[in-house]
Amino acid sequence: MTMQNEPHIARAFDRDLEAVQALVLKMGGLVEAALLDAALALESRDDELAARIRAGDKAIDALEEQINTEAARIIALRAPTAGDLRTVLTVMKIAASLERCGDYAKNLAKRSVVLSQMAPIDGSAGAIRRMAKAVQMQLKDALDSLIQRDVELAAHVRQNDAEVDQMYNALFREFLTHMMEDPRHISACMHLHFIAKNIERVGDHATGIAEQVIYLVTGALPDEARPKADMTSTAPATGGQG
Amino acid sequence: MDDLRILERDVTTQSNKITARGVDVFYGEAHAIKSVDVDILDKTVTAFIGPSGCGKSTFLRCLNRMNDTIDICRVTGDIKLDGENIYDPKVDSVQLRAKVGMVFQKPNPFPKSIYDNVAYGPKIHGLTRNKAELDEVVETSLRKAAIWNEVKDRLNAPGTGLSGGQQQRLCIARAIATSPEVLLMDEPCSALDPIATAQVEELIDELRSQFSVVIVTHSMQQAARVSQRTAFFHLGSLVEYGETGQIFTAPKDPRTESYITGRIG
Repeated sequence: MTMQNEPHIARAFDRDLEAVQALVLKMGGLVEAALLDAALALESRDDELAARIRAGDKAIDALEEQINTEAARIIALRAPTAGDLRTVLTVMKIAASLERCGDYAKNLAKRSVVLSQMAPIDGSAGAIRRMAKAVQMQLKDALDSLIQRDVELAAHVRQNDAEVDQMYNALFREFLTHMMEDPRHISACMHLHFIAKNIERVGDHATGIAEQVIYLVTGALPDEARPKADMTSTAPATGGQG
Repeated sequence: MDDLRILERDVTTQSNKITARGVDVFYGEAHAIKSVDVDILDKTVTAFIGPSGCGKSTFLRCLNRMNDTIDICRVTGDIKLDGENIYDPKVDSVQLRAKVGMVFQKPNPFPKSIYDNVAYGPKIHGLTRNKAELDEVVETSLRKAAIWNEVKDRLNAPGTGLSGGQQQRLCIARAIATSPEVLLMDEPCSALDPIATAQVEELIDELRSQFSVVIVTHSMQQAARVSQRTAFFHLGSLVEYGETGQIFTAPKDPRTESYITGRIG
């Protein structure tokens, strides 16, 4: 559909488009690593690793800025149309999403430093690490679908977000139970809940990226509703065993 | 939808001005246009784009029978202007061209005064009864072509003495002086600088409130800027025809995509 394999007559245009997409992949790689590392830092109570993740967010932010500058340059100099235009628009939106994901990873690292001073909540760090791993795979698949212009893979990412939502639901109930059982756990559980919520949001961004890929390839955003399984906003406060 | 700029781009009418069905054009043995069907909307700018030799100018020239002047050219199929077949033997091609005006690639003012350039059409078609009426037609036409202020003090100066951009606007004034219903423009800006191009494009946008404008252009950006409908021609066929925004953001045919993104020439 988008004839990505057919080169432009102006070869420099191809190089520009490839370069800006390569930046997005690089950014995606950094975000995926930050997310996994942050979950690892939480589980292993590694404050040094957490500090490195917080410092590393600057590189992610800088990449977003560079992508926006490159995209603006392409728009100004090449006046992209059709698939090329959609590539540039998509790249800018994905960069904004990834930047946000980077912030969530950074926030996770911040909270892990606070949590390392508190008594651990049984099983929580492992569950969060599994959730972070699942979301990282979603991000990876979404970015792979971008590079391969693979609508099926993108649709698959959309469908899979429900699993992440379910993992979040389970954690939400678990933390609620812990807090009701022992009020001394409230502080730690609040932090853990924010961490779980933020990872779930990274999952939403992965879904958003996949939707952008569908727009990029087909020229239209998917219109059918995707499955949503985050029920916590409607769960009753006593729904500990919900 | 409350955004004024979005409303402005909308086409205000859905009525067809020109309907072409199964149009084929041959230059001797060469099959230049292959079974083209197209509906040109009234009060709309329609752009024809496509690589050199794709037939867009040939098709444009069918719309006011300019191809009649080429001996080896043969046109078949149906082209109707307001429901009337323009290739009907009863139709006088000179009258037709007064209704369907044309502006060419290179400004080609007559070697006459600015006034006479514009007055020529109304005179030969007997559209005015006296000098005062003719003066009025000349002034209105020059005003519509956005050149009145630049030439009003030297209407008797030769038209060929104007700058390229002014000459092209003079030719547009000449084309609209006979009150045409359709204005055909074949690469009207290709010999103009960016400022003159912008003036002509602005003019085209104003003209669309009164006429149906069909423009052939090599500049895809120009097609994107001035038109509401775009038709892409390739190798004599009409590949895709649709709303300009759709053609430039999400074309349906891969050949359109390749052409507008600069992948085929």
